[in-house]
Amino acid sequence: MKVVVCTKQTPSTTAAITLNNDGSVSWEDAGGKPNILNPWDEYGVETGIRLKEDGKASDVIALTTGAPDDTVGLKTALAMGCTEAIIVADEAYAGVDTLGTARIMAAAINNIGDVSLAIFGRQINGDMGHTAVQTAVKLGWTPLTQVTAINEIDDDRIVVERAVDDGRETVEAPLPVVLSVSKEIYEPRYPSFMGIRKANRVKIPVWGNDELNLDDAGGSKVDWSDIYDIPAREGTVQMIDSDDMADAAKELVDSLFEEKVI
Amino acid sequence: MSAIWVWIENKNGEISSISKEVIGAARTIAEELGEDVVGIVLSDDVDAVAAAAFDLGVDEVMGSEDDTFAAFRVTAAGPTVAEMAKEEEPAVFLAGASVQGSEIAAWVAAECDAGLIADAIALEVDDEMVKATCLVYNGKLMATTFVTDGTQCITLRNRAFAPAESTGDDGDADLVDAVKTEDEIGAKVTGFASAGGGVSLNDANIIVSGGRGVAGAEGFAPVRELADVLGAAVGASRAAVDAGWIPYEHQVGQTGKVVAPDLYIAAGISGAIQHQAGMRGSKVIVAINKDADAPIFKIAQYGIAADLFDVLPALTEAFKERL
Repeated sequence: MKVVVCTKQTPSTTAAITLNNDGSVSWEDAGGKPNILNPWDEYGVETGIRLKEDGKASDVIALTTGAPDDTVGLKTALAMGCTEAIIVADEAYAGVDTLGTARIMAAAINNIGDVSLAIFGRQINGDMGHTAVQTAVKLGWTPLTQVTAINEIDDDRIVVERAVDDGRETVEAPLPVVLSVSKEIYEPRYPSFMGIRKANRVKIPVWGNDELNLDDAGGSKVDWSDIYDIPAREGTVQMIDSDDMADAAKELVDSLFEEKVI
Repeated sequence: MSAIWVWIENKNGEISSISKEVIGAARTIAEELGEDVVGIVLSDDVDAVAAAAFDLGVDEVMGSEDDTFAAFRVTAAGPTVAEMAKEEEPAVFLAGASVQGSEIAAWVAAECDAGLIADAIALEVDDEMVKATCLVYNGKLMATTFVTDGTQCITLRNRAFAPAESTGDDGDADLVDAVKTEDEIGAKVTGFASAGGGVSLNDANIIVSGGRGVAGAEGFAPVRELADVLGAAVGASRAAVDAGWIPYEHQVGQTGKVVAPDLYIAAGISGAIQHQAGMRGSKVIVAINKDADAPIFKIAQYGIAADLFDVLPALTEAFKERL
């Protein structure tokens, strides 16, 4: 069974993000690693590797789209234990929106061929699985988002637990499926030293539109050009003197009743 | 092209709290645009939900009634809503940024080749166009975004919009057939366990959160005691979750839940930018931390620079006297 893990490279969670005067955004990281594998995707990579270790998956292929040298995330995926990595990079795909990304992922998965399972992590900006669902629509597969556990999987079906809005559901679906996994699924491993060395030697293939043959590859229907700093929260903190704790607590409680938040 | 469509989440004839907020947001922009609000209801029993939607001020209800819609599955609902949208070409399709709302919005946008904006925290009408405010770059920057062409699909963050109020109106739903039969739907829901126990972070009016300062699993006891008195949900910073003191479902922040309660009490949380990304939308923030220089005080309205093990029991007592 072939498993594809769809990943994204993102600014490091500790990176200092700067909005430049020309409206562009740049970032740097004191630790010297400005870009990382999207932390949510580590759970997808771990899920793929576990399936291989359990004898279910033969290949675990990490996939991403971006600029040709956006391979930091893929290197981490390889170092963790993915068997292959592919980056899709083409000028025609620059600046795509989520749906464009889904079209690219679906075309790449079709091009890999014979894939039973595509796994996404959550995207880092409040995305509850948009790209996973849209990739599934483009592939004609079943999407299963917010997966917290894989209960059973064989060559033609999967049973998973999902965290839905008001509880947890068990869902059974025929393969192929697109999963988006939540943090609860497995604790991701750290890449081993040997894994890192091996990953650094791998030459990651770059696919473009010659391979994917998308008619309408890219573009974005969403304008994201108006980016600005988050307005500061108004007012300053009112510190409550804590010499007498009972008085301090009473003062705070009175204030909160006045704010009408109780 | 016209009309503002609203995806209405429903269960047992009732509309979810996030959908009430989405209807509220839709009514506000519909008024400015001079368009109608159309509630989209898919259910095995549409009537009660439609009546509730009309009461909340939607101008029309369109939907489909079928047993395949008894429990929400995007593989059942998606094709039917997408078919309706292709036929009617709504100007705007709004859904909550819940699991369900995100799935349906993504599906409809994919089938209709429409632009999609995730997790908006504000909407405005500018030159007859709907613009959505979102947090970007790990919640460190903000953006005002819009869909340049075609139906604008937008999901709205939980608790960021005021819920629609009752109007006393009523009407009849306009129904279409389901696109997929049960045999054509791959996914089967074979089990469900309701999220029991305690107030959920997503819906809570008040959240009491603990961080590194609680210093152990047992350190959450005073956090829980205060939460119980207030009917609040219990939150946690990543440090507390990673240390194994409390399960992940309580984590607030960039890699946890994003919350916006009326009151957020942060106890023993330093307030790293990743934690702020999950709670800075709260109406009032109270910071309790031994370290008077902790960054959490910079975004709080009220602060007490003292040990949480002294402050929380005193607060619990003070609230007990007033409530």
